[in-house]
Amino acid sequence: MGGKDAMLAVRDLTVASNGDWAIKGLSLAVRPGDVHLILGERATGKTRLLETIAGLRAPQQGAVALEDGDDGGSGAGGTRAKILRRRVAIIPREAPVRQLKVIERLLLHATPRVAKLGIAWKRGREEARALAARVGLEALLDVPYEALRPVERRLIELAAVIRQKPAALLLDEPTTELGPHEARHFLATLRSVAEAERIPAIVATTWPRDAYPDGSAVTILWRDAPPATLSTVEYTEGSVVERWTGGLDIRRTPSGPHAAGDTLVRVEGLILKGRGRETSLAGLDFDVRAGEVLAVVGAPADGLDLLHDALLGNRMPERGSILFLGKEIARSPRRQRVESGMTFVNPPVARDQSVDEFTVEENMILGQTHAPPFARRGLLRPESIRGNCLRSLQDFEIAGATPRTRLRDLGLGQRQRIIVAREVIHNPRLLVVRSPGQGLSLEEQEYVRRTLILQCERGSGLLWLTEEPEEGMRVADRMAVLTVGRLVWIPVTETLTREGIIAEMSGAAA
Amino acid sequence: MIPGRCRAGRREILANALALLLLIAGTHAVAVGVVDWNPSRWMAPWSGDVVLVAAGLVFLGLAFLMPLHSGMLNLGIHAEFLAGYSVGALIVRGRVFGPAGEAGLGLVAGALAGALVGIVISGLRRRFAVHEILSGLLLAAVFVPIARAISVERVTPPALAIDLPAFTEPLRWAPGMGLAPGVILGWGILLLTLSLASSVLFANFLRTSVSGFEVRASGSNPLAAASIGTDVEGIQRSMMALGGACAGLTGALQLWTSPAVALERWPFPLGFAGIAVAFLGLGSLRGAAIVAIVLAAWLNTPYVGTVLGEPSYGAAAAALLLLPALWVLPRTVPDFGAPRSIWRTRHRD
Repeated sequence: MGGKDAMLAVRDLTVASNGDWAIKGLSLAVRPGDVHLILGERATGKTRLLETIAGLRAPQQGAVALEDGDDGGSGAGGTRAKILRRRVAIIPREAPVRQLKVIERLLLHATPRVAKLGIAWKRGREEARALAARVGLEALLDVPYEALRPVERRLIELAAVIRQKPAALLLDEPTTELGPHEARHFLATLRSVAEAERIPAIVATTWPRDAYPDGSAVTILWRDAPPATLSTVEYTEGSVVERWTGGLDIRRTPSGPHAAGDTLVRVEGLILKGRGRETSLAGLDFDVRAGEVLAVVGAPADGLDLLHDALLGNRMPERGSILFLGKEIARSPRRQRVESGMTFVNPPVARDQSVDEFTVEENMILGQTHAPPFARRGLLRPESIRGNCLRSLQDFEIAGATPRTRLRDLGLGQRQRIIVAREVIHNPRLLVVRSPGQGLSLEEQEYVRRTLILQCERGSGLLWLTEEPEEGMRVADRMAVLTVGRLVWIPVTETLTREGIIAEMSGAAA
Repeated sequence: MIPGRCRAGRREILANALALLLLIAGTHAVAVGVVDWNPSRWMAPWSGDVVLVAAGLVFLGLAFLMPLHSGMLNLGIHAEFLAGYSVGALIVRGRVFGPAGEAGLGLVAGALAGALVGIVISGLRRRFAVHEILSGLLLAAVFVPIARAISVERVTPPALAIDLPAFTEPLRWAPGMGLAPGVILGWGILLLTLSLASSVLFANFLRTSVSGFEVRASGSNPLAAASIGTDVEGIQRSMMALGGACAGLTGALQLWTSPAVALERWPFPLGFAGIAVAFLGLGSLRGAAIVAIVLAAWLNTPYVGTVLGEPSYGAAAAALLLLPALWVLPRTVPDFGAPRSIWRTRHRD
């Protein structure tokens, strides 16, 4: 793709979004070997910015240049974009291919050929092994890409990009699906690759934690406000968060100790085999009582996804039982679980909890049309549906939405409020919550958390599954860390720290 | 438009209107250069074909739209159409029931045959993960030689002349249309009424019933529908059966259709006319009904048959008819593609 030792310079860049600007007047410089973080909640223009830097979009104003004497810094706009497209590599958020083996993925863009016809597999295997070794995954060459853990997929994508010898590297939210220790491992590998290749790297993220310890600087993006760049040497993680949130108090509202109540759900000896290289659940035992929050912290591939699937009813456990209010539900479908008083709130980006094409009022009754008040004798009851929606919009302070607004026209935070409202409003016995604030603004995150905890104080039990230790600390009455498919119980005390939880997660995994 | 289906706006409506206008104006502009143009032919009264053709097109539009609302692309529509035709032809060949009995039985059997093909297509997808587009096209290829082998001469429509003699007289309530009297008109009006009533009923079903809500949820986001306990595969099977029945009925109808009927002028395999009607109607039932009537009128205007008879002009017309698929299709399928998500939903268990 081009030479190395180039500094990536962005000068006074304005990026357009639907006729308006998404980012205005951004300037930054990333030196070879540095990892620069772009921090912002969803829809603040991170992906657009990366695409603009990569020459895939034209900036409204400003310029991007690779300063090594071999760039198009002085060229015309079109020439410069062409040079950037050639020299800058971008790793998108979604993996482009899944059906290949790792070796095929690594060789995808430049397969070694014999006489331009056949594939030189021997040479290709050597090249692929060398690439995979750069990220420590040389043992996985013949594993199907789809069977890899999320962190391994990310590392393989990184290795595949190195092969193109880019002059700069851009990564769009690579840590979204990763646990904190996995994210740290990935970013450390990225840093070592960037240093070895002498290339600048820019990482878009929604987590302030990603900047430490391997990031050199953080650029914070806000909606409708100019961006700010902070050095990680001068600013601690806490001060970055404070700057990002404008000093918003994001600590948990003291809700007081919950009185121990009846056991709502009891999980015993839950065993479930993981897919591909996912860690299996190796016999989980826990219970959730009325009026308490049990937080389970873990990486998705360490069993958190499997546990969530087992509770949702998407997967049936091989062994073990899930007793909900004394009834065995391990093999019952999701509808039956919901009808018996269990509800679910998934991450805002999850696609199985709302229908974008439906209106707000229709989404408010999703899954609740088999009995009054929203339906009778097989027909929907429009007055009940509209009334329910209007009350919910008011009670849950969902501004800018009407019953007839399509869900796709709303922001992520508004959508999540609608889903939380739908699940909370019929006073469920048990709420199974999975990272409900992921990707939301901190203010929205806090609103969603408070609403859910308030429901807990009304007597519901709350099982909170999350990959973010801080979130677990903020909400938990009891906490367990999921490592190697087992639960490790951690006492929730004043001295509990995020580092301690991460050490527990990564230590046991190692 | 039924909520939750096509994400189209004004631009798409305008683009479809332009495509339709270009098609209609284009054929007549070409006709001026190709044939001996005589404006007086426009003054001749229309035949009852226009009504019968409109009915057929509305049914074919329904055959594509019903499965589409549940997230299935019914490209087996031509196979269903040919299945209906073949079964109807077999009944006529039998010469057992008499003209009236053959007509009634043939239409019912044709509809059932089409429904069966629809169920087979959805079954192939559920059991063997064969995409409905592939199985639909392959089945159409299978049914073409079968339909040719058992084809019969067209049969005079018998039933309506017996008890409804009024249809043989000029219609008092529609003198301006200049519609010619005839038995075919009686059939046409009956079928057009039936097809439009089916459209209205189906639209009402989607909007007001719990089952319709589930159909729309399955079509818009099968993952969410499955997660709330909806039997997505069952719904899609039912919709394919209903759509297949509509296509099969239209296929069987061809046996009782006069050779002069303008559907013969259609520039590509007739079953696929449903796709053009659905896309030009922006995936909505109301739009499809309007487009069906407009296209029926267009096919009955002078010179259109002659122009479409020319292979190159026929191909151009076919391209124009299917052009809206370019912008309508991406706006009708779910964001992340129904087939893959359904496959995944099923195999998560």
